[in-house]
Amino acid sequence: MAVEQENGDPGKIRPAVEEDISEEMEIKVKKYLRGEGANLEVLQDKKLKGKLAAREKLYGKSAVAAAKAEKWLMPTEGGYLEPEGIEKTWRIKQESIAREVDISSTRNQYDIILPELGPYSLDYTSSGRYMALGGRKGHLAIIDVKSMGVTREMQVRETVRDIVFLHNELFFAAAQKKYTYIYSREGIELHCLKEHGPVLKLQFLKNHFLLASMNKFGQLRYQDVTTGEMIGCYRTGQGRCDVMRVNSFNGVVATGHSGGTVNMWKPTTGAPLVKMLCHQGPVTSLAFHPNGHLMATAGMDKKIKLWDLRKFEVLQQLPGHAKTMNFSQKGLLAASTGSFVQILGDLNGSNKYSRYMNHSMAKGYQIQEVVFRPYEDVLGIGHSMGWSSILVPGAGEPNFDSWVANPFETTKQRREKEIRSLLDKLPPESVMLDPSKIGTVRPTKKRNKPTKLEREAELEAAVAAAKSMPLKNKTKGKNKPSKKLKKKYEAVDRAKKPFLEKQMEEENPTKKKRKTESVADELPKALQRFTRKKPAT
Amino acid sequence: MVDTKRKSRDTNNAKMAKKNKTPTSSNKKGVRRGGEKRKRSGPHLPNAMKREIELLNPRSGSDDEIDSDEEFAGKDVYEYEEEVPEEESKKNRRYDPVENFEFELPEDFKDENVDSDEFDSDDFDDEAQNLGDDVEEDDDGRHGRMLQEITGIPSDAFGGKKLKNNIVISEKDITKWEPLVKRNREAPTIFFDDKTDLNFSTVGAIASEFEPRTEFEKQMAALVNNSEVAEAHKKDGARLLELNKVTMEDVKDHQDRLAKMRNLLFRHEMKAKRIKKIKSKTFHRLMKKDRLKAAAHEIETDPEAAKKLAMKQEYERIKERSTLKHKHHNKWAKRILERGLGVQDDGTRAAMAEQLHQNALLTRKMNSMKDDSNSDDSSDSDDDDDVSGASDEEGKLKLLERAKQKTLTILEDDEVPNSGLHSLPFMARGLEKRKAAAEEEAKLALQEYEASLKQSEGTDDLEKGTSSGRRVFGAPEQQIQDSGEKIRSNNYYGNSDSEDDYETKKDVDVGHARKSYLRKHVTVDPSVLRDKSQIGHDDLFKSLNEIVEAPGTKTTYDVAIFASNSWQKPRNSEQMKGKTEVDANGNNSLEVMEPALDEQEVEEAENDDDSDTEGNIRMVDGILSAVDDSNYELPSQAELIRRAFAGDDVEEEFEKDKEAILNEENPEPEKPVLLPGWGQWTHVQKKRGLPSWMLAEHDNAKKKREEALKKRKDAHLKNVIISEKVDRKAEKLHTKTLPYPYTSKEVFEQSIRMPIGPEFNPASALEALNCPEVRKRSGVIIKPIGFEDMKSHERAVNLKQSGKKRNAKNQRNKS
Repeated sequence: MAVEQENGDPGKIRPAVEEDISEEMEIKVKKYLRGEGANLEVLQDKKLKGKLAAREKLYGKSAVAAAKAEKWLMPTEGGYLEPEGIEKTWRIKQESIAREVDISSTRNQYDIILPELGPYSLDYTSSGRYMALGGRKGHLAIIDVKSMGVTREMQVRETVRDIVFLHNELFFAAAQKKYTYIYSREGIELHCLKEHGPVLKLQFLKNHFLLASMNKFGQLRYQDVTTGEMIGCYRTGQGRCDVMRVNSFNGVVATGHSGGTVNMWKPTTGAPLVKMLCHQGPVTSLAFHPNGHLMATAGMDKKIKLWDLRKFEVLQQLPGHAKTMNFSQKGLLAASTGSFVQILGDLNGSNKYSRYMNHSMAKGYQIQEVVFRPYEDVLGIGHSMGWSSILVPGAGEPNFDSWVANPFETTKQRREKEIRSLLDKLPPESVMLDPSKIGTVRPTKKRNKPTKLEREAELEAAVAAAKSMPLKNKTKGKNKPSKKLKKKYEAVDRAKKPFLEKQMEEENPTKKKRKTESVADELPKALQRFTRKKPAT
Repeated sequence: MVDTKRKSRDTNNAKMAKKNKTPTSSNKKGVRRGGEKRKRSGPHLPNAMKREIELLNPRSGSDDEIDSDEEFAGKDVYEYEEEVPEEESKKNRRYDPVENFEFELPEDFKDENVDSDEFDSDDFDDEAQNLGDDVEEDDDGRHGRMLQEITGIPSDAFGGKKLKNNIVISEKDITKWEPLVKRNREAPTIFFDDKTDLNFSTVGAIASEFEPRTEFEKQMAALVNNSEVAEAHKKDGARLLELNKVTMEDVKDHQDRLAKMRNLLFRHEMKAKRIKKIKSKTFHRLMKKDRLKAAAHEIETDPEAAKKLAMKQEYERIKERSTLKHKHHNKWAKRILERGLGVQDDGTRAAMAEQLHQNALLTRKMNSMKDDSNSDDSSDSDDDDDVSGASDEEGKLKLLERAKQKTLTILEDDEVPNSGLHSLPFMARGLEKRKAAAEEEAKLALQEYEASLKQSEGTDDLEKGTSSGRRVFGAPEQQIQDSGEKIRSNNYYGNSDSEDDYETKKDVDVGHARKSYLRKHVTVDPSVLRDKSQIGHDDLFKSLNEIVEAPGTKTTYDVAIFASNSWQKPRNSEQMKGKTEVDANGNNSLEVMEPALDEQEVEEAENDDDSDTEGNIRMVDGILSAVDDSNYELPSQAELIRRAFAGDDVEEEFEKDKEAILNEENPEPEKPVLLPGWGQWTHVQKKRGLPSWMLAEHDNAKKKREEALKKRKDAHLKNVIISEKVDRKAEKLHTKTLPYPYTSKEVFEQSIRMPIGPEFNPASALEALNCPEVRKRSGVIIKPIGFEDMKSHERAVNLKQSGKKRNAKNQRNKS
C-alpha cells in the first residue's frame, strides 16, 4: 500500500513517453478551447469568414499557451491511494494513512470532543483557510485551520441551525432560533435578518453576493448582502424543507423536498427552473459536483442517485442512506449516515462512482454535516460530539490560483480581493441553468397573444399617459382652454389608435390576407385602375 | 463734489485727447499700408454708389487724402473694419496659384465697357475674373499632377473628359495595386506607429541649438565661451590649473563659513526636535501665549499688521452680517425648525448648534461692548466731573441727559463756513441739505431721549426699592440662568420661544435697558424652572430604563420587572413542563432577593429554559436516541403522518403537477360551445351539430398544442419539468438580434464562446486577442497609401504575417 500525498516530493515521476505528453496536452488544449469552432463553410460573407478564421487561430494559440502554462506552472499533483495486490483502498484506515504522510498532514487528523453543544454544522471559506462551526446549542466558532487557532468563539444561547461564511472570513451568517444573524469575525452582531424568519438552511452564492435561505415554512429567500436588498422570496409550496445546496457552477439553488422532488431555483423567477422527481421518499441530501454537471441526491428510499444535469438523467444509482453529502474539488463524493462516512470516487476516469474510502466515528456519534476542505485532502465532519477531520487523499485541488482563492492570503490581498470581487459581482438575473448562454441571441418565445384584460390594461395605461402629458405653453391665440382640450383629446385618440387597429386586424384577418395576396401581383399604382376585376380566361 | 466734477472734466479732456490721438495712429497705419495695398473699409458697395461717394470727397493719390476719407468713413455709419477677404488674406496659396500676379494687359488692349456703370470703376474686377479663369485651368492640371505624384499612375488616368481619345492606362497599372489593397483589407490590425522622426535625436543636437537668453544664461555663456578658458583647454590643460588657483585664505574662509552654517542648522534642528518632543501642556500653553503676545506686540508696533488684522476683522463682520448665520431668524433655520430638529441629520444639527454658538458669542460680545461703552462714558463723565458713584442706572440716566444736551448744541450751532471749498455755491447747497437731514435726526433722537427719560423716572421708585434686593438675588439668578442655558444646549429647541424673547429683549435700546433687564429675569426664571422639572423627569425616565439609579426609583423598576414576569408566567407554563416552570419561578424569586439583577439576565435564563425544552432529545454520554435528529423539536402529529406516508403516491402527485404546469404554459384550447339559436335555427343546429369550421379550429389548436408539447425539453423526460417561462429580467443578457455581419446564429454563438479577458487567457496571447483594428500613436500623420512592389516580397510578407501584421515594409507602404 502506498499513500501519495499532495505537496509530497515530486521525485516520483512516471516514465514520460512523448506521445503521452502530447495526448495530455491535446486534452488540455481542448479544455481551453471551450468547444469546437464554428463551421465557417456555411458562411457566404468572405470577409467575415476570413475574420473568423483569423480569430479561431488566435483562440487556438491562446489555448495552447494556457495548456502549457497549466502543465509547467502547476506542478503539484494530487494525492491518491495506491493499493498493492489484493489490498483495497476502502480497507485503509486513517491510522495507517497517518503513518505514511508527513507531519503537517497528520495535524489534519483530529477529533475535537465538545459533547454539550452538539451536533455541529460546518463551513469553510473558499480558500479553505478558515472554518466556521455552529453548534446546535448556540456555540459559534471561527477557526483558523492552518494554525488551529480559534479566531473567535462565542455562545449565542439559542438554537443554531446552520452557519455559512459570506464572501470571506470576515463575515458569517448563522441561522438561529428565530432569525438569521450576520456576525463579523470578531463576533459582533452586524445584522439581524428578520425577514428570513426561522431559517433551517443557509447558502451563499459567492459570485452573486446573495444569501439564500430556506425557512421553516418552506420559503426560499434571496438577499443581496452588499446592498441588503431582498432579491426574491418564493414559496416552494412543498412544506418544510431542510435540504438545500447551491450549484457553484451556475448559482442555481436546489432544494430537496419531502415529495421526493428536487427543485432548482433562480433568484429572479418565482417558478422553479427545473422540477425533478428524484426519489420515492423524501430527499435527505443533495450535493453538486464543482463542474456543475453532476448532482448527487439521496432519499429515504435508500438510494443515492447521481444525475447528469445536462440531460436530467440518472447516471448511476447506489444503494444506501445518506444524511449529508458533499463533493470535493476533485470530484470525490462523501456521504454519511449515523456515525459512518463513506467516500466514493470515479477512480478510472469513467463516470462510475465506486467505494473509495470508509471511515466510522466512535459509536453513537451522529454526523450532522460533512464538508471537504478546499485545496487540502481533508474532510471535515461535524457531529453530535464535536467535530473531526480526516485525511482523504486526492480530494482537494493541489494547485490553487491566487486570483480565485488563496489559502496564504495576507490582509492586504484579502482587501484587494474583496474589492475586486465586488466589482466583478454578477447581477442576480445572470443565474441560469446554462450560464454560457449569456450574450447569445435571445431565444424566440412563442408570441402569446395578450389576453383581453392585459390589452385593456395596456390601453388604459397608454391613455392615462397621453392625458397626463403636460401641454406646452403656446402663443396667445393657440393657448385657449378649448384648444388645449382639443389637443388633449387628439393625444388620447392617437394613443388609442394602434390598439384599435390591432383589434380590427384580429377581428378580420382574412381581409388583410386577401389584400396582400392581391397586391402581391399588382401593377404599379398608376396602372392599377386599368386591371380587370376578373381576368378573362 | 467739486473734486468729482473736476475729475469728470479731466476724464473728458483725456477722452478728447484720445480722440485726437486716434486718427494719428490710424494715419500711421495708413502710411504703412499704403505701399502694400489699399486698405478697405466699409461694406462692398455698388460701383455707382462708390462713385457718388468719391464725388463727395475727391480722392487724389496722396496718402493724407485717403486718411481723411477714412476719417470720414469712421464718423459715418460704417465704422467697423471689414475683415480681409479670404482671397487677400494670403493665408494659404489657394487663391494665388499663378506666379505672374501682376497681370499686364497687352498694349493694344482697349476697354470697351468704359461707359457702363458696372465695370468702369477699377479694372481690378476684370483682372480677378481673368485670374479666376486661369486658376480653373491650372487647377485641373495640378490635381492631376498631385494624383500622379501620389499614385505613380500617369496623369492621363485622371484626366476625365479631356483626354478621352488618348487613354493609355494598361490594366497592369491598376491591378498591381490589388495585392496591396487586399493585404490591408485582410489585416486584422493596421499599424501606423513607425517613423516617428523627432527633430532632435541627440543631446548634442539639442545643445547646439541652445541660445542664451536670460541674464544668467548669458553670464554662463560668456564664461563657457571665454577664449582664455578655451585656449587653456586646447593645450595639455596645465593652464587650467593656473586659472583655477584659489588662495588658501579663501578656501579657509569658505570652509569656516560652511561649518558655521552647518553648525547653526544642526543646532536649530536639535532645538526644534527637542521642542517637538515636549509633551507638557503647560509648556505649549506658555509657548502659545508667547506667540500671541508677540503677535499682539507686532500689531501694536507694526501698523501694517494692525491694518491687516483690522481688515480681517472687518471682513469677518461683513461676512457675518451678510450671511446672518446666527440664531434662527434666517430662512433656512426657520425651515429646519419647522420641520423639527429631531428629524434632521447630524450635520444639520451641528450647523444649527454652530449658529447658536455664534449667537451666544455675539450677544456676549454685545454685552461686553455695552459694558465697555459704559466704562468709557463714565470716564467721559469723569472728565465732566460727573462722577458716577451711584448705580449703573443712574449713570445711564445721566448719559441720556448728556446726549440730549449735545444734540441740542448741535442743533443750535449751524455756522456756515465762509471760505475754502465749502464756500462754493454747490457745496454750500449740499451742506445745507445734509444739515437739514441731521437736524431732523437729532430732533427725533431728542424726542426719544425725553420719552425714555420719562419712563425711567416713572419706574424709578420701584427700581430703587428693589435695587438692593435685586442686587442680592441677581448673582445667583444669573448663575441659575447660566445653568439653564447649559441645559438648553443639551436639548436645544424645547424652549426656543422663550429664548426668542430673551434675544429680542437684548436688542432693545440702551434706554430700555433697565426694564428689559428686569423683564429678562422674569421671563427666564420660569424656563429655568421648567428645565429643572424636565431634568427631574428625565432622571425618572432614565432610572426606569436603566437600573443603576437612586433607590426611590429602583423600587418602581423592580415592580415593573415583577409585573412583566408574572405576566409572562402563564405563557411560559403553557410551553414548558411543570418542572421547568418551577425553575422559572425559582429564578423569579431569586430575582426578588437580588434587585440588582439585569433584565437581560432574566431573559437569558428564560432562553435557556426554552432551549432546554426545545432540545427534547437529550444526549446521554454521547449516545443519541435513534430518532432522526435533523430537527430537535418534536414534529407535530400531522407532520409525522405526512412524513410517514410521504412516499406513497409521489409519482402520481408529480404527474399531476407536471400536467398542471404544462397546461399553464401551453394552455389547452377551449372546447367549442354551441349556443342554441345563434346563427342558425335551433332545429338546424340540432341536426347538424357544431359547425365544421369550429371543429376544425379546435382540432388545429389541439394539434398545435401537441406539437408545442413535443418540442419541450422535458417531453421525453417523464420525471422532469423544465420551465419554459422566460425570465423578463434576464432578457437583457441576450442580444435581441444577430449582430451585423453574422447571418447564422450558430456561427455567432460559436464565435463568442471564448472569453478574451485577462482572467481567462495567458498574457502572451492576450495582446493579440484584444488588439484594436487600427493602432496609431497620437501625433503620427497618416499619409496616403504608397505603391510598393509586392511580388518580390510576397513570400516573406506572407510568412511574417500570420495573425497580425507588423513589419516595416507594411508600414512603409501605408505611411
